[in-house]
Amino acid sequence: MTMKKVIALGISTAMVAGMAVTPVFAAEDPTAQFEGLTANEAYEFPMMVKSFQSTYWEAAMKGMEMAAEELGVTFKAQGPNSESDIADQVNMINTAIGTSPAGLGLAACDTSSVLEALQTCADKGIPVVTFDTGVADAPEGSVVAEVCTDNAQAGAVAAENMYAAIKDVIANAEGQVIIGEINQDATALNIQQRGGGFIDKMIELLQADGKTVAVAGNEFYVNAATTADAAEADADVVIQVAVPAQTTVELCSTEAQAILSKENCIAIFGSNQTAAEGVLAANANLNVLGSDAAAGDVIGVGFDAGSIIKAAVQDGTFLGAVTQSPLMMGYYAIYALTAAANGQEVSDVPTDGYWYDATNIEDETIAPNLYD
Amino acid sequence: MSEVILTMKDIDKSFPGVHALDHVNFEVKRGEVHALMGENGAGKSTLMKVLTGIYQKDSGSITYKGKEVEFHNTREAQDAGVVIVHQELNMVGDLTVAQNIFIGREPKKGFRIDDKKMIEDSKKLFRELNIDIDPKEKMHNLTVGKQQMCEIAKAISHKAEVIIFDEPSAALTEKEIADLFVIIRDLREKGLGIVYISHRMDEIKVITDRVTVMRDGGYVGTLVTAESSKEDIINMMVGRVIYEDPKQHSMVAPDAPVVLKVEHLNAGKMVQDVSFELRRGEILGFSGLMGAGRTETARALFGADPKQSGKISVMGKDGQLHEVTINSPQDAVKYGIGYLSEDRRRYGCVVQKSCIENTTLATMEEFTSGLLINSAKEKEVTERYIKELATKTPTADQLVVNLSGGNQQKVVIAKWLTRNSDILIFDEPTRGIDVGAKNEIYKLMNKLAAEGKSIIMISSEMTEVLRMSDRIIIMCEGKVTGNIDISEATQENIMNKATRNID
Amino acid sequence: MTKKKKSILSDQRFIVLLVVIALTAVFSVMSKEFRQYNTLLSLLDFSYYDLLMAIGVTFPLITAGVDLSIGTGMVCYALIGGTLIRSYGCPVIVAMLVCVLLGVLFGAINGSLIGIMNLPPFLATLCTCMITRGIGSLCSATPWPGLTQEGGWFHSIYKLTIGTGRSADRYPIGFLWMVLMVLLMEFVLNHTKFGRYTIAIGSNKEAAALSGINVKFYHVMVYVVCGLFVGLAATAYAAVTPTVQPGTGAGLEMDAIGGVFVGGVAASGGYGSILGTFVGIYVIMLLKTGLPYIGLQANWQQIITGIVLIVAVLIDILKEKKGMQ
Repeated sequence: MTMKKVIALGISTAMVAGMAVTPVFAAEDPTAQFEGLTANEAYEFPMMVKSFQSTYWEAAMKGMEMAAEELGVTFKAQGPNSESDIADQVNMINTAIGTSPAGLGLAACDTSSVLEALQTCADKGIPVVTFDTGVADAPEGSVVAEVCTDNAQAGAVAAENMYAAIKDVIANAEGQVIIGEINQDATALNIQQRGGGFIDKMIELLQADGKTVAVAGNEFYVNAATTADAAEADADVVIQVAVPAQTTVELCSTEAQAILSKENCIAIFGSNQTAAEGVLAANANLNVLGSDAAAGDVIGVGFDAGSIIKAAVQDGTFLGAVTQSPLMMGYYAIYALTAAANGQEVSDVPTDGYWYDATNIEDETIAPNLYD
Repeated sequence: MSEVILTMKDIDKSFPGVHALDHVNFEVKRGEVHALMGENGAGKSTLMKVLTGIYQKDSGSITYKGKEVEFHNTREAQDAGVVIVHQELNMVGDLTVAQNIFIGREPKKGFRIDDKKMIEDSKKLFRELNIDIDPKEKMHNLTVGKQQMCEIAKAISHKAEVIIFDEPSAALTEKEIADLFVIIRDLREKGLGIVYISHRMDEIKVITDRVTVMRDGGYVGTLVTAESSKEDIINMMVGRVIYEDPKQHSMVAPDAPVVLKVEHLNAGKMVQDVSFELRRGEILGFSGLMGAGRTETARALFGADPKQSGKISVMGKDGQLHEVTINSPQDAVKYGIGYLSEDRRRYGCVVQKSCIENTTLATMEEFTSGLLINSAKEKEVTERYIKELATKTPTADQLVVNLSGGNQQKVVIAKWLTRNSDILIFDEPTRGIDVGAKNEIYKLMNKLAAEGKSIIMISSEMTEVLRMSDRIIIMCEGKVTGNIDISEATQENIMNKATRNID
Repeated sequence: MTKKKKSILSDQRFIVLLVVIALTAVFSVMSKEFRQYNTLLSLLDFSYYDLLMAIGVTFPLITAGVDLSIGTGMVCYALIGGTLIRSYGCPVIVAMLVCVLLGVLFGAINGSLIGIMNLPPFLATLCTCMITRGIGSLCSATPWPGLTQEGGWFHSIYKLTIGTGRSADRYPIGFLWMVLMVLLMEFVLNHTKFGRYTIAIGSNKEAAALSGINVKFYHVMVYVVCGLFVGLAATAYAAVTPTVQPGTGAGLEMDAIGGVFVGGVAASGGYGSILGTFVGIYVIMLLKTGLPYIGLQANWQQIITGIVLIVAVLIDILKEKKGMQ
């Protein structure tokens, strides 16, 4: 099957089969605005990705290629060496703006650092389409559309699926239990929303069953969890959030290990590829993850894909994971930019996030988004 | 003659262990160029340092413009009008001429430095001195001669009334020296008092009015230049001291073969067309004044510094001389040459390491089997040399830094003996070593020579040269100016050759 | 002037060893989770590549140089090795050899720039740091084979796993290799010509040259040996990192260099010991692993490590001052 067909199939079936695979977000079809779209000129868009580190961004670029080919436009993907190289990315953005492109695609490493650049775009009339990560307080008139996963709800999906597996254990627990969450940082909006979405949903579910909850660990996430209703010492459930000093698998692993080695830890969530791989690396020695919570397994949930996480989902080390659709984000980012460059009004394109586990990992609607 | 501007009377100064100035008298008149002469270490520099406040005198008096003064630092001396123009120029290469002249006392305009005024003032200074230099030029773009002119201009700008020139001509060309003399004469006309320190007899005769000679920290006498001959001055410089047991005649066997032949060696300004021969069992003294190019010759010969041309031949195992190429110390070591640096701490030994490590540093191959070091053998050899050279160290493991200067030197000697070097270059072998240890080093050198080693000994001490050498090469300003057998050597003829260019 | 009997307490390595023991005790008392065998396993897992890098970089540090390219270099070699396995079906053993050879190659480049062309070590290795980082970024994220996958045997070099899943027994045999490696290199440093000359270059390069030592050659070799260990570190890194990420690695050299200084290498060169490096690295590793267990946020690890480093270097400087008197 060619890539093109996969895309076409993916886009069409995503909507049709929407109910079956529990889409995170099911708004009215946001893609209708692009019907019959053709580029007025052969635009060239600079596309700022967060890095070339993971195959995640490669999938996004594949989507861009697809769209560019269909529309007869071109793009130039650029990105810093690592997602923590915030300043490098800002430099690249400024350089790109300097050439006055017809539009700019942006996945910001750090949302607050790009505000100035976005203001310049607004001043120069360069339409910006953000993808993967939205910029919440973008200056008026700069960002014309967002092509993002609804991260809060993606996090919530992880919480819902995890809760289903640990519900009984919590109900029967004789003391406090801990649910861990590893976030690679506390600065990027998507990680913030995802981590927060997971926490909020989990609190909501626990409280519905009459449990008291506390959030502990990283200050940002503790402060963000306004619905927590107990002190750490006497809560029924503690959601323990850890953020490493640097975004490396090693440091994520060290943090995960500290949580996993607590006896009353019953579940853990790694909120992106690096964090989830950190959880798996920690488990390599501890061997506590598994799919049978009743038998004492710690339930692990990941996010995104990559061969390591896919393997863990397949062999039951992870209960499952939530995938975004980088392919779709790249694809629609180019569409939105072309429409904006043509002068058309564009609205946001939320892309879906999907729960996947050993049972549906091979499904046609899921597999294309699961990069290696 | 005119009035005396500066008088130094009975100046006495001691450092721990050294009586550096012994009741020295010195005076300068207005409109006079007064030479200050003496061998290395005679006390000229110390006297001038006392004058300009770098050192404080122990006793005696300094009278300047009729009042007794004591300067506590160069700044005070400068402000009073006593300025020294150093041999090494104190200039900041990246600043302009004007910025250098007014460094530390820049004219201000509000918070800003008034560059305009600085440049104007510099121009005025240069006009007064008849010097043609652009004040806006960067200092490092000027020739050494021009830089010195700037230094003089700087001195004048301090309203100097006494200017001390410390070997001003050492780095200058003939033309630049001529220009310098024009300026000095001009300053003399203006009624300044000038102190001129130099080793060059010819210059002394040309430019100075009087000569004061110092020897061994003491005052010898003052002569009127026009009424004295060069010989008079040299006689005063070397004195009539009886040096302890000078060697009467060469100890080298008449038929001893030449083991090292250096022909027309050139390496920069300090080594010009140097040729000499070294015979087996010979101690060849290299005499000369500071900066004569002796160390530079040794370093070039040893391959430590690059050389432009020259032929070096070393006796091979077959007893014949062979021309060799020495581009690095490794090459020199290969041909059996060892070098004992004048600056032991810096170049000679690895002070933070043990005697063993230093002794075997040049001969590691002999102590390694395969990749490993044979520590037992190392220790054995080191201990043997400690015994043989009577090195005073508690153990062979002792760090060299904890040994006295003489014993450090012995460790370095052991290093080259271990290497089995036949030609040893001793650069100032007894500098910083006390008298007792000195004698031991001398004995050792004689023993080595008797055993057939050949030694080049660079020394600034006349006693040492006369006591140790079989033959003496005298250098002056990068050239060999004399090559005399010990039986013909006297302090006078050595000093004569050391203070002039060519016979 | 007599040689003082060296008290064991004046040996920085011994002090650092006491620090290692003290840290272990503190963390064990404060956290019962820390006391587990699994914590030790994981601490050791992540220590091998740091330690191997540190052993390597000890040599340049003794010559008063530095190698800043070790972190990015290690990741770069691991990425290239991983790409060879994934995309070209290269056997794992060959990929490992490639890692080591690349390390030696870049070591030789560093060495030539520093020893022959006289670039300052900081500058030369900063350049190769950037170059290796860039080359690494050309590859995509590559996982080396997992333990259960084909070619996964190489994990057993560092950690022997007998059985599968939860019932498996795990033995950190990598630690044994590390001990042997440390003893070997300590021996090399003290009892071979190479080691002796490394120290001589660091202590007094000019005296070494005037003694007829081929200083250029040995200076290059110092960086080659460093590179060799970085290459070995790349294989250890691949064994513990699920997916080697391009663009990472910058900063990893700081842990290794920091560990060496904690272990008592002289800040001005001329003295160092591999045993010191060994204990120094475990101080860093204990801080890195232990602090999360006692509930301290991750940033504290770096702050505390920085403070430990200042103390270690101050001890060295005070010692040197005392030695001068």
